[in-house]
Amino acid sequence: MQVNLNVRRYDPISNGSGSRQTYSVEVDEQSTVLDALIQVKDQQDATLSFRGSCRTGFCGDCTMRVNGKAKWACRLPVSKAQVDGEITLDPPRLVKEVKDLIYDQEEFLFDKYAATKPWIEPSPPAPAEEHIVSQEKIKELQEASSCTLCGMCDEGCTVLVIDKTFLGPAALTRAFKPVADPRDRVIERRLSELSEKRGMWDCVHCFEATEHCPKGIDPTDRILSLRDEAIKRGIGTPRVVRHNDSFAKSIKSSGWLDEARLAIESEGLTNIGGLMHLVPTAAKAMAHRKAPLPYLHKKRPGAKHIKRIFETWEKGSK
Amino acid sequence: MGERQQMRYAFYPGCVAKGGCPELYPAAIKVAERLGIELIEMKDVGCTGAGVLSREVSDPINARTLAKAEAIGLPIMTICSTCQGCLMQANHRLVTDPEYREKINREYLAEEGLEYRGTTDVKHFLWILDEDFGLDKLQEMVVNPLEELNVAAFYGCYLRRPPEVVVPKGKESRKVSLENTIKALGGNVVATKGKGKCCGFPILYPNERNSLEMCGTHTLEAKDKGADAMVTPCPLCHLELDGTQSRAEQHKGKKINLPVLHLPQLVGLALGFSPKEMEMQRHLVSTSPVEEKARKKAEV
Repeated sequence: MQVNLNVRRYDPISNGSGSRQTYSVEVDEQSTVLDALIQVKDQQDATLSFRGSCRTGFCGDCTMRVNGKAKWACRLPVSKAQVDGEITLDPPRLVKEVKDLIYDQEEFLFDKYAATKPWIEPSPPAPAEEHIVSQEKIKELQEASSCTLCGMCDEGCTVLVIDKTFLGPAALTRAFKPVADPRDRVIERRLSELSEKRGMWDCVHCFEATEHCPKGIDPTDRILSLRDEAIKRGIGTPRVVRHNDSFAKSIKSSGWLDEARLAIESEGLTNIGGLMHLVPTAAKAMAHRKAPLPYLHKKRPGAKHIKRIFETWEKGSK
Repeated sequence: MGERQQMRYAFYPGCVAKGGCPELYPAAIKVAERLGIELIEMKDVGCTGAGVLSREVSDPINARTLAKAEAIGLPIMTICSTCQGCLMQANHRLVTDPEYREKINREYLAEEGLEYRGTTDVKHFLWILDEDFGLDKLQEMVVNPLEELNVAAFYGCYLRRPPEVVVPKGKESRKVSLENTIKALGGNVVATKGKGKCCGFPILYPNERNSLEMCGTHTLEAKDKGADAMVTPCPLCHLELDGTQSRAEQHKGKKINLPVLHLPQLVGLALGFSPKEMEMQRHLVSTSPVEEKARKKAEV
């Protein structure tokens, strides 16, 4: 079949802000988008640059935008991708371009990954024999280990679009592994570091990352697991810890959320500046009879059972 | 089968519909009554955790809610995307992993004499309108078609993702159910790129700047595309898009002034309720441009 590949061309030396070039290519019915690119490079234009390593949907090296949406070029048949005989190809949207479809993976993925210190740190001295990890635990870790940093989840992330400094779901998913590994002995330090600015608490848990992950790793769930672990240990930024504590206290004591109390306690009862910051919105909400009054919060009929559930959990997690 | 069976649900209103968005609860009750949907309110159940509590404690709390609905043999109706998502995700874990369910039953529910067997269905009011009630039937009941109103849909993350939990095979209409509802009410849909994105509410405390950026981006996009209002099935999105809109205006350096309606309020207006009956005066962004257009039609 005949297809036109409309490709983003970029060369920082020769063509400044870049351009587009269309290549017409005859491919087999079974050809993938990556096959088509390779054919163009072999037969028409050796200067066309793109990445593609395993060609079998394992490595994630060929992540690119196909008709505006991030895909793995090696997993997408031309027949499925083409719209009226054309396919547009661009690098992922949030990256620094290097040449054509090649982008700076260091800045986009690897630097953030390295910042999470994703290696296991067992406590010295080393055990006399090997570390034994249960099969059950290994199974849990295996799934997260299958992440190849293809960047699809970062590409879909709602936060990275507006704040490129956010660690992002790819790095946080990899950071989950040592935290969940029973051989690691610095979990609290890890969780504290992941709580720093632009870390795991900046995630909006919108599940875009999960929807974008081609390997079914569920990055959003990994981030929530990191947070669950941090909540259990009382780790976070002071503001996050105050917020989580107040939320839990409210549910534990009454069964449901005292939102006004949450707003006040998240700022901090002695944080005058923070509390003043609330005043304009709170005053407006009060004027519209929209804001509930803090601490005047009735218990739900089933509150004692909710409290018991909390206490059972707290006992079990100690 | 009768032409139309009585629709009954175990009603889970959530915290915000009675707290930060006190207009939502009465609007939902009035609209359900008008539609003939019978609601048995679950008063003795806990918060879903809203993605803030550790799932280790919110899963047992949600299992308790699901067990209580199961005991009275009713599906649950929610009016909050976040409640819906948290309950549904917990339900997914409990249904697909019987060992986990048994553990929760044993460790947390047995003491109260409860057991969850994994049979409760949880549905948002939006899905109930579309899948159980029927949008054609809703359209027939409209007495005040919102023909002059341009409305942008805003779903809230949890009604769209994770897709295998929320939008299973055969339920694909859930991805366009809000737009279809606007159309059934006679309104004009304003298509936006942001309709399925995060509103910004979950990071209002940890990262206010990013949160306001999201709120500003979505409301401005709708406004720029000609929306008179935005409608959302999620009161947390409402707290963000209505409640923080004035701060988002400062952050963006632009006036936005976009009224944001709860889904039951929009349905209520089309069914002939007044804005006051829908308690729209409680919103922080004035809804008068919407009232103007809705009223004009009613008077014709």
